[in-house]
Amino acid sequence: MSGVRAVRISIESACEKQVQEVGLDGTETYLQPLSMSQNLARLAQRIDFSQGSGSEEEEAAGAEGDAQDWAGAGSSADQDDEEGLVKFQPSLWPWDSVRNNLRSALTEMCVLYDVLSIVRDKKFMTLDPVSQDALPPKQNPQTLQLISKKKSLAGAAQILLKGAERLTKSVTENQENKLQRDFNSELLRLRQHWKLRKVGDKILGDLSYRSAGSLFPHHGTFEVIKNTDIDLDKKIPEDYCPLDVQIPSDLEGSAYIKVSIQKQAPDIGDLGTVNLFKRPLPKSKPGSPHWQTKLEAAQNVLLCKEIFAQLSREAVQIKSQIPHIVVKNQIISQPFPSLQLSISLCHSSNDKKSQKSATEKQSPEDHLYVLEHNLHLLIREFHKQTLSSITMPHPASAPFGHKRIRLSGPQAFDKNEINSLQSSEGLLEKIIKQAKHIFLRSRTAATIDSLASRIEDPQIQAHWSNINDVYESSVKVLITSQGYEQICKSIQLQLNIGVEQIRVVHRDGRVITLSHQEQELQDFLLSQMSQHQVHAVQQLAKVMGWQVLSFSNHVGLGPIESIGNASAITVASPSGDYAISVRNGPESGSKIMVQFPRNQCKDLAKSDVLQDNKWNHLRGPFKEVQWNKMEGRNFVYKMELLMSALSPCLL
Amino acid sequence: MGVTCVSQMPVAEGKSVQQTVELLTRKLEMLGAEKQGTFCVDCETYHTAASTLGSQGQTGKLMYVMHNSEYPLSCFALFENGPCLIADTNFDVLMVKLKGFFQSAKASKIETRGTRYQYCDFLVKVGTVTMGPSARGISVEVEYGPCVVASDCWSLLLEFLQSFLGSHTPGAPAVFGNRHDVVYGPADTMVQYMELFNKIRKQQQVPVAGIR
Repeated sequence: MSGVRAVRISIESACEKQVQEVGLDGTETYLQPLSMSQNLARLAQRIDFSQGSGSEEEEAAGAEGDAQDWAGAGSSADQDDEEGLVKFQPSLWPWDSVRNNLRSALTEMCVLYDVLSIVRDKKFMTLDPVSQDALPPKQNPQTLQLISKKKSLAGAAQILLKGAERLTKSVTENQENKLQRDFNSELLRLRQHWKLRKVGDKILGDLSYRSAGSLFPHHGTFEVIKNTDIDLDKKIPEDYCPLDVQIPSDLEGSAYIKVSIQKQAPDIGDLGTVNLFKRPLPKSKPGSPHWQTKLEAAQNVLLCKEIFAQLSREAVQIKSQIPHIVVKNQIISQPFPSLQLSISLCHSSNDKKSQKSATEKQSPEDHLYVLEHNLHLLIREFHKQTLSSITMPHPASAPFGHKRIRLSGPQAFDKNEINSLQSSEGLLEKIIKQAKHIFLRSRTAATIDSLASRIEDPQIQAHWSNINDVYESSVKVLITSQGYEQICKSIQLQLNIGVEQIRVVHRDGRVITLSHQEQELQDFLLSQMSQHQVHAVQQLAKVMGWQVLSFSNHVGLGPIESIGNASAITVASPSGDYAISVRNGPESGSKIMVQFPRNQCKDLAKSDVLQDNKWNHLRGPFKEVQWNKMEGRNFVYKMELLMSALSPCLL
Repeated sequence: MGVTCVSQMPVAEGKSVQQTVELLTRKLEMLGAEKQGTFCVDCETYHTAASTLGSQGQTGKLMYVMHNSEYPLSCFALFENGPCLIADTNFDVLMVKLKGFFQSAKASKIETRGTRYQYCDFLVKVGTVTMGPSARGISVEVEYGPCVVASDCWSLLLEFLQSFLGSHTPGAPAVFGNRHDVVYGPADTMVQYMELFNKIRKQQQVPVAGIR
C-alpha cells in the first residue's frame, strides 16, 4: 500500500482497478483488484512469526499486534521497531529462549511439587473439588447429554459389531472343524459296536458272524465313508451324519426267512417263486445313528443267507423217505403226508421294482414266526458249537463245553450217554421236528375245539400248559357234564403232544399212543365222551343212593360200534323195585331202559306158574325210555330226574 | 449203565481159542442177539519205582491202568484190592510224567478184543484175551442194562448166562459183595476185568493144554 500511496495520481478515485500498463494506443490494462483473501495473504506475508514463540501472553500480544496491523498499517510502524529491538537481543545467544522456558517450567514444577507435598500432609492445605455449579452452563445440558450418550452408544455398538464379526468368523470355522470332529466321534462310536480295520487309506468293517463261530464263507465287509462334502451354506438335513457306511450290494435291503406249513401240495409252477411281501424296515431306535440300523439290517441279511445256505446244504445231504426239494430260494419238505413245510429266503432289496411286485401280490399271512425265531436261535447255537471247541479258552485237561461233557471222563459215561450228549442233528432236521410238533399241536387244538363246539353234552375242557418244550407240549382234557362238575370227574386225560405222536395218559395210569392222524384223536375223544356218560350215571347212582348192579366199559353185546365200544351200566333203585339200564355207544348214542316191578305191569299176562302173590315183587320186563322226550338240559340231569321219579318218596 | 458180570470161558476140548469164540458167538446169534460193532478192554501194569520204596524191603504195589471202549472218554487206574480211580483219558499222559514213581512193566500189556452183542436189555461181549501176540483165553461179559443194584438182578443174569454158557456159568463175582442196595458202577466192571486178567496171567506159567 505504501507503493500505492507513493503514486497518488489518479483522478478518478472511484476507479478501483489499478492500471497495470497503458498501451501505445492509449488503452489501459487494469490490474485485477486483490480479493479479500489475497489481501489477507499479502498482509500475512508481512508478519514476523518469530515473535510468536514464547508464552501465551506474548502470543496474545502478537495477536493484538496483528489485529492492530489489520486496523491500520501506519500506526504499527514504530511498534515494529520496538519489537525488533527485543527480538534482536536474545539472538545473541540462540538457546536463551529454551533456557528461559525450561527455567520457568522448572519453577512451576517445583512449586507444584511443594504444593503436592504439603497437600499430602493434609495439615495446612487440602484439595477440594471445584464446584461444578460455578461454571456457567454455556450450552444446553440436554444437548450435551444427548451427544455424550450418542458417542458412548456408538462406541458400544462398535465393540459389539466387532465381537459379532469375530463370532461369525469363529462359528463358520467351527462348523468346518466340527464336521471333522463329528466324523471322528462317530467313528469312535462305530468302533464300539463293530469290528473295524484299516486297509490302505480305507476303513473296512466286518459284518460277518465269523468271530462268533460262523463258517459262512461270505466276507461280509463294509466300508466306512467320510461324508463331509456338504455345502455349509445350505441347510443341513436333520438326519445328516458325517459318517456313512457302504454295504456290499448283495446285503442291501431287508431279508427274512419265511417258514410256512401248507396243507395242499404245491403247483409245480409255483415252486421257487415265493412272494416277497415287504415288511416295513425296522424303525431306527431314537438316538441310534443312521449307520447302526443300516449295518444291523445288512447283518440280518447275512445271517438269513447263512441260515438258508446251511438249510439247503443239509436238505441236499440228508436222505429222507421223501426227499427235500430245494428250488431257488425255497426248501420244501414233507413232514406229514399231504402237508408241506416250506422254508424260503425272502430278500427284498430297496429298489422300486421289487417293492412294486411286493405290493401287487400280498400273500396270505401263513408265516410261522416262532419257527423263524427258532431258526435264528439254532444257527446261533450252531455258531457257539463251532466256536467253543477251537477258539474259546478252555481247560487244558478237558474239552470245553457242556459240564456233562466235561464230566463224562471222570464219571465214566458209557457210549449211549455220550451219544445222547452230542446231538448230531442238523438245523433242518431240528426245524422239521419243530414244525411237526407245531403242526401237531395246532391240529390237536383244532380237533378238541371242533369237538367241543360240536358236542354240547358232555362238555370238553382243554387246559393248555403255558410253558412247553420245542418238541413237546401238553394239554389236560377234562370231560364233564354241565352242572355236575363236582361229581363227574372220571375222565381226565393228559395229552402229551410230541413230534410224531400224541401220548395220552389216562387218569388211572393207562397210556395210549396216538399217531399224528387227527381222526385217531377224534375217535378216541368220542369214545371217552361216551364212556363218560356211563361213568356219570355211576357217580350219580352213588349220590342218589342207587345200587350199581353191573358196569362195563366195553360191552361185547349189541350192535358193533365203528368207533370204540359201547359201555353199559345197570343200577337199581334203593328199594329195589326199579332198575335202570343204560347203554351208551359213541356212535349209536344212548339207550335207556327201565325195569318195573311185576305188579305194576298191567299188560303183563297172568302167568300160570307164578300164582303166589310174593312173585309180584319180582321185576318185570324192561321198557325203553323215550330219552329225547325227557325233560332236562343234559344227559345227567335227565338221568337224575328219572331216578328221582322212580325213587319212592321218603317223606 | 447196568450190572455187569465178567467171567472166563474155558477153551473147549480140542478147539482153538478162535474156534471157541466162534462157537459162542454163533450161539448168541442163534439166540437172536444183534451184533453191534466191537469192543476192547486193555490193561497196562505199573510198579512203583525202586527209588520210592522203603528200605525195609517191602514189595511195591502194582497199579493197573485200564481203558474200556464202553467208556471211551475215561481211563481207569486200579490197585489190587485198593481204590479205583476214574479219570479223563489224559491220565495216560500224566503217567508218562510220573515215570519217577510208577514204571511200566515190560510186556505187561494185556487186552481183550471182540464183538459186542445186544440182546434186548442184555449186552454181551465175547472177547479174546491176548498178551503180546498170543491168545490166552476168552472173556465173556454180560451186562444187564435196566438195573443198577447187583443183588437185585444177579439171578436174572445167572439165568441168562446159563442159557449160552451152559456148564461154564461162573459164580457171583466178588465185587457184587454181600451188601444190598449198593449201586453198581463202571469201576466194578474194571475190577472184574483186572481180576480176570490177573487170573489169565497166572495161567501163563502153566500153559493150558488145548491152546494151540
